[in-house]
Amino acid sequence: MQNKLSFHQSSVSLEIIGLPDYSNNENKDQISIISQWKLTIINKPLIEGKIEHLEPIMDAFYIYSNLLINTEIPVYESKLIDIKAENLNMHNIVLKSSKPDVKPLILKIGNSLLSDTINCFDQLNESSKVRFKKNVLSYNFPEKVRFRLKNKIKIFNLLMPPFIAICSLVLFSSTFIYFYNPVEDKEEKELINAK
Amino acid sequence: MPNKVTIWKLRNNNPLRKSYVNNNIKLDEFDALIKITVEMSKYLYPYMREILQSKEDVEKNSIIWNDFNKRFIELIKERFNLNSIRVKKLLNQTDNDEIIIMSLVTLSLCISSQGYQRLKHFLYDF
Repeated sequence: MQNKLSFHQSSVSLEIIGLPDYSNNENKDQISIISQWKLTIINKPLIEGKIEHLEPIMDAFYIYSNLLINTEIPVYESKLIDIKAENLNMHNIVLKSSKPDVKPLILKIGNSLLSDTINCFDQLNESSKVRFKKNVLSYNFPEKVRFRLKNKIKIFNLLMPPFIAICSLVLFSSTFIYFYNPVEDKEEKELINAK
Repeated sequence: MPNKVTIWKLRNNNPLRKSYVNNNIKLDEFDALIKITVEMSKYLYPYMREILQSKEDVEKNSIIWNDFNKRFIELIKERFNLNSIRVKKLLNQTDNDEIIIMSLVTLSLCISSQGYQRLKHFLYDF
């Protein structure tokens, strides 16, 4: 008997069907060997496939969403899936079949369905019940960015103590001006010389 | 974040606001603000989705989009420095559609733990 797990987000649902890896002493309700998956988007044709199709499709959606929020013209093209922005609100998805003589499936989805789909994939990635090679895009920040942010604070912390020290020295020494009289000092020196 | 006043003070780090104060925001405070944004986005996701959907099909259902746009402009006029060129751009009807849509899409993509990383990455790179 195969396990079924569903992830829902508004108009999109993702179903994962598979078996636990008993050789690894996994629980009965775990899925480690995915045999099938189904992505249901309301009012759109059903998208389904095997594990080897799920990973590139998830990657495509993740990369496209990153391009969408970071660049003006987001385009993603691969052997299996193409995603292009038609305008600010609509996105064209072309799913290409690996079988010959099968026409590609063309879908038009808006921003709302795109975010639902990505949130469904996020739920799958975060689920402890499904284990598979999750090719999640790593959000390791480029060194340049990290340097920029942390060094702002580091440089500030580095420069502030000596700056405060110099300021306090200037203030402290300026108070001695009131105690030191150069005329008196000159007279004292003259008296010593006279002796 | 020890209290709401701290959040209010941090909010004033936004140079577009009338009450802008440069408080030298710390990295921890920046992360905390991102976490608050993610939690608020989770809560408001159904509303953001409705607004996006309304814009996708303006001919059928433009009420939600128009209401949101109207309220957005009202809030900008009330709280932001209207002399700033960037604020003027936000009030410009042709420019602000894109800014609003992209902001809503960005927020609707950050409602999970991975979304938190996505938003953080986007803001660090901004």
